[in-house]
Amino acid sequence: MTDRIERELELPAPSEEVWEALTDPERLAGWLAEEVSFDLRPGGDASFRDGDAVRRGWVEEVSPPDADAGEGRLAFWWAGDDEPATRVELTLEPAPGGTRLRVIETRPLELLDAIGMPLSGSGSASFGPELVAIR
Amino acid sequence: MDATNHAGAVFGALSDPTRRRLLETIADRPAATATELASELPISRQAVIKHLCALADAGLLDRQRTGREVRYRVTPAPLSDAVSWMAEVGGQWDDRLNALKGHFDGDIPGPRGEV
Repeated sequence: MTDRIERELELPAPSEEVWEALTDPERLAGWLAEEVSFDLRPGGDASFRDGDAVRRGWVEEVSPPDADAGEGRLAFWWAGDDEPATRVELTLEPAPGGTRLRVIETRPLELLDAIGMPLSGSGSASFGPELVAIR
Repeated sequence: MDATNHAGAVFGALSDPTRRRLLETIADRPAATATELASELPISRQAVIKHLCALADAGLLDRQRTGREVRYRVTPAPLSDAVSWMAEVGGQWDDRLNALKGHFDGDIPGPRGEV
């Protein structure tokens, strides 16, 4: 079983503006974590700090909102110390009053562990680029 | 109840944000009564009881009767790892998205005319 969290939020702004709130470190610091750094390209490093807690991860997908459809997607992986990595997917799509943001966080590594893939624990960051290559 | 049915009951019980919040609140202390929870959360005592029953039926809470009061505490269940992950991570996203929403709502002048 994959553990999964899903949330939806409508924001009164066009998708380009919401995308900025999801990708600009200064704006991210207002809601995602106290300090965020993103290397916004597939395989790029990411780090997130909240007080003393630091999560590290990497970027999987960066698809800015499409000029016509207004849909965009940002996906990244993150993990705190000694925690299995989880995947966060933020999707934007136009809504009547602005933009709908969907958040999905999944913890799929438990599943991979169960079928014998040694992916969790230390060194989890090293599998990032490999997964990108598989896509 | 087999594992799959149990998982279904657990995730069904946790699909409701109010129930997740109740479970997190109870998890922070040894035990709680419906009266205590109703006084702390913006939910009526009757609704609290209804949600507590759903959580107890899914095996997430234990009931203990002491005198006239029923005390509820979080059960250490086989699924507690998945359950606590969902409660914790779900709560974190609720907080983050509230903060994000606040930034966007802030662009629109509030009804109270903030100084």
